[in-house]
Amino acid sequence: MANSDAQKNELLKGTLDMLVLQTLSVQPLHGYGIAQQIEALSEDALRVEQGSLYPALERLQKKGWITSKWGESPTGRRARYYTISAAGRRQLGNEITSFDAMLVAINRVLRRT
Amino acid sequence: MSLIDSLRYRWRVLTRSREHETDLAEDMEFFVSSAARAQSDASRGAMGAADARRAARRRFGNSTYYREEARRVSGLTVLDELRQDVRFALRTFARTPMFTAIAVSTLAIGIGANTAIFSAIDTLLLRPLPFREPDRLMNVGLSLPATSQGRARDNFVWSLPKIEAFREAQNVFSDLTTWLFMQFTVRVGDEALRISGEFIDSRYFPTLGIAPALGRVMLRSEDHIGGPQVVVISDELWRSAFNGDSAVLGKSLDVDGTLFTIIGIAPPGFAGVSGVAMFWLPFISPPAAWGIANFQNPDNHSFFLIGRLAPGVTPERAAAIAREIGPRIDAQFPQTGPNAPRFGIAAHPLDETRVDEQVRRTLAMLFAAVGMVLLVACANVASLFLVRAASRRREIAVRLAIGASRGRLVRQLLVESVLLALFGGLASLAVARVGTQVIYAARPVLWGGQSQSGIGTVTVDPIRLNLTALAFTAAIAIGTGIFFGLVPAIQSTRPTLTDSLRVESGVSSRSRIARRLSMRDVLTIFEIALAVVLLAGSGVLVRSLAHLVAVRPGFEPSGVLTLRVNRAPAWSRDSITRFYDVAIDRLRSVPGVASVAIADCAPQSGGCTGSEFNFPDRPGAPSQSAGLHWITPDWNTVMHVPLLSGRLIESTDRKGTPFVALVSETAARSFWPGDDALGKQIALDHGDTARVVGVIGDTRFRGIQRRPMPEVYMSYYQQPMSFRMMLHLRTKGDPATMAEAARRALREVAPGFPVYDVATLEQRISGALGQPRFLAQLLSMFAVLALVLATIGTYGVISYSVAQRTREMGVRIALGATARDVIRLVVGQGVVLAFIGGTIGLAGALAATRSIRAWLYDVPPADPVTLVGIVVLLALAVLLASWLPARRAASVPAVEALRGG
Repeated sequence: MANSDAQKNELLKGTLDMLVLQTLSVQPLHGYGIAQQIEALSEDALRVEQGSLYPALERLQKKGWITSKWGESPTGRRARYYTISAAGRRQLGNEITSFDAMLVAINRVLRRT
Repeated sequence: MSLIDSLRYRWRVLTRSREHETDLAEDMEFFVSSAARAQSDASRGAMGAADARRAARRRFGNSTYYREEARRVSGLTVLDELRQDVRFALRTFARTPMFTAIAVSTLAIGIGANTAIFSAIDTLLLRPLPFREPDRLMNVGLSLPATSQGRARDNFVWSLPKIEAFREAQNVFSDLTTWLFMQFTVRVGDEALRISGEFIDSRYFPTLGIAPALGRVMLRSEDHIGGPQVVVISDELWRSAFNGDSAVLGKSLDVDGTLFTIIGIAPPGFAGVSGVAMFWLPFISPPAAWGIANFQNPDNHSFFLIGRLAPGVTPERAAAIAREIGPRIDAQFPQTGPNAPRFGIAAHPLDETRVDEQVRRTLAMLFAAVGMVLLVACANVASLFLVRAASRRREIAVRLAIGASRGRLVRQLLVESVLLALFGGLASLAVARVGTQVIYAARPVLWGGQSQSGIGTVTVDPIRLNLTALAFTAAIAIGTGIFFGLVPAIQSTRPTLTDSLRVESGVSSRSRIARRLSMRDVLTIFEIALAVVLLAGSGVLVRSLAHLVAVRPGFEPSGVLTLRVNRAPAWSRDSITRFYDVAIDRLRSVPGVASVAIADCAPQSGGCTGSEFNFPDRPGAPSQSAGLHWITPDWNTVMHVPLLSGRLIESTDRKGTPFVALVSETAARSFWPGDDALGKQIALDHGDTARVVGVIGDTRFRGIQRRPMPEVYMSYYQQPMSFRMMLHLRTKGDPATMAEAARRALREVAPGFPVYDVATLEQRISGALGQPRFLAQLLSMFAVLALVLATIGTYGVISYSVAQRTREMGVRIALGATARDVIRLVVGQGVVLAFIGGTIGLAGALAATRSIRAWLYDVPPADPVTLVGIVVLLALAVLLASWLPARRAASVPAVEALRGG
């Protein structure tokens, strides 16, 4: 259990910011919504913990890539919604590009061994 | 875009941290409850709410724990720590109030004094003149070579014919304007104001590039003899006398009894080239009234000249052209007489001439002195921080040992330094404010009676606190504090903590302490040396002042009231002597007045004239220059100037009788060496001759610093040449209390003529002593400050080293050393510091005092009295600084010291 968690975290570490930005690029979401969205889109392969999500959200705000605002959730409760900024979209583009490049490179390496 | 969002986020964290925190908590709570609901839904109600929450926690992690992580990212944690650091620093300050007070006040004084002096320099020397393109303006003056009568001058005033000739001859100035300033009596309603105004031509405002705020300025077409009598008034006069009413345009202003039509208001703050003008009159229009109207006379030197450089002409080229034209103009207006001056022409950038050279040099000296104070202050702060950091090494080691992170510790020490510096900076604001006010108030004194020289008085702005200077000096002093607070902090937080713990508990590793001490020692030596330089500078100035005060001026300044009465412009020479007869009689009858006389000028307050004298008795003898005074019979009685031989001027020496003259002792000796002056003839440069009837004592007319010069006194009633006379009243009591009675008496005989320029003679003289006194006081203050700081610095270093060596002292005492031995050991350390610092300082002091030779009277730069005094003072200070720690060291009980304090 601990082992698999660690693996999942490891996978998320560098890419969580990118995944958060990606989910927000579709629509503004609250924190739980982001976590759910990532889980759903990854078909439950990726699990987002609060411990990684909230530091990431603070970090992205600090960079100015997302902003937050209190609003109402569909169930009528007060929830904080995160919105991607124009700079965030640029950042997302850059990250995806370099992520793709890295994937290609990694694949190349793997094919050779 | 992202920057703005980012800044907004950070700003919010910083300013509304609590709100940000609750938001974060609420958001995470929302996450958990949403997750719990999802779990509960998934189990279709099989799970209770509490179980669902637990499951959600399991799945998404412990929110309390992770909140810390999020807080750290957002910066909230740092903020918490910062708050702790500040609280801790404040507690530390409270625990060491002495250190805090000394550090804060040292910073405050160092920064404050520098800011004040720099503000003055900025206002007087650096800030651009308030004219359009001021660097294109030049002051053009006649120049005179040095003569026996005075130093060379190159801002001598012009006559109009010479100005016209120059205007024709030159092509380097696109515009030239003629001006002069004077005191006038302006009547507004019932009030008579004595204020300054400038006489100008129509080119004045265009040349300076100043447009009126309201109305217009004089037109070129009005600039001719008999032109309209118009006046432009200053914004200040407009507001104070006319309540800023724009209907004032077209009304008339009564200036010395002549009515001028107000045509314009100058922009706010504009006070002319003189810096004191309240209005501007065309000098050409009111004929004859002011004694300047003799426009055609090439020897009527009354006017200043300012030029605006033509496009493309450099100031250097203009100056060269002016120099070249000079002799040609002089040749056009040859003066007769054996000693006729040869005028040249000199042009200087207006900016250079705005402040008298003497004032400029004085400010430079003050700046150097105050800069030294800043250096001493910095050195002191540095050594304070070094001592403090060293004394806290143990505390730091302990904190490291129990797990504090190094970065955190350094940050905490940094916070302390910054906070201390901040307090010092705030306190320095008050010091700077007061200092600026003192300098502003001392402005007339700083001018040192130089204000007669026209352009030298451009004082455009009042001196204000200069924030750039404040920021600059604060940055230096605070930077020093932080640097010296931080470097030891980083050193002492190095991971070798066991070493630190061990060393501090008494097993001294000597080489280490020796290395650290040397840095502090160097700082202390530096402080002592600078203090010595300042002490020497202020010492010779104080000695010079003492000599000046002791100088016998040749007259008795106490008990004399002096004043002037405004004359009526229309008075003739006959009516004016009749007026003064009546006035003197009336004043003499005022109770408390012993005797009354008039003279054209009071000693040592400027405005005296001189002349070349020839000697008809000795044909072929070279002419000599001397001061020329116009006095009435009782002048010697009023001034207590003794008669040495012959007789004084008597009331029978009136118009129509043969001219008589008194000469001073020095004049008698230099005019007729080895011969009796009585009965000799002297001829003034315009030809009148007079017979010497008496020799009187020497009087220092030109200034207390100047040796007695030859002076010649003639009877005012025989030849009422000058209109600007000064009444001198010898009073029985305090002359200052007689001013009102004198005013009243004069109002009776001369109603409507304002009495002005009322001052006791002592006030005028102390004005002459004002600059040396001000400089001596200011420099002494700086020097004392530096000495106190150096003493504190020495004290700090020595008491620190005593604390370090407590154990060693204990051992010594245990082995039989007496208290006296220990004291000698400690004091000896101070003496070594003082000796090195003092020697370096004395070398610097000799250079410094040589550079201020110009301010010294009768004191050699290397004044032995001053130097010995400094050595004594320094010895006392060092003894004081090392005595207290020495006593402490000697009184250490041996056992306690050995136990390991």
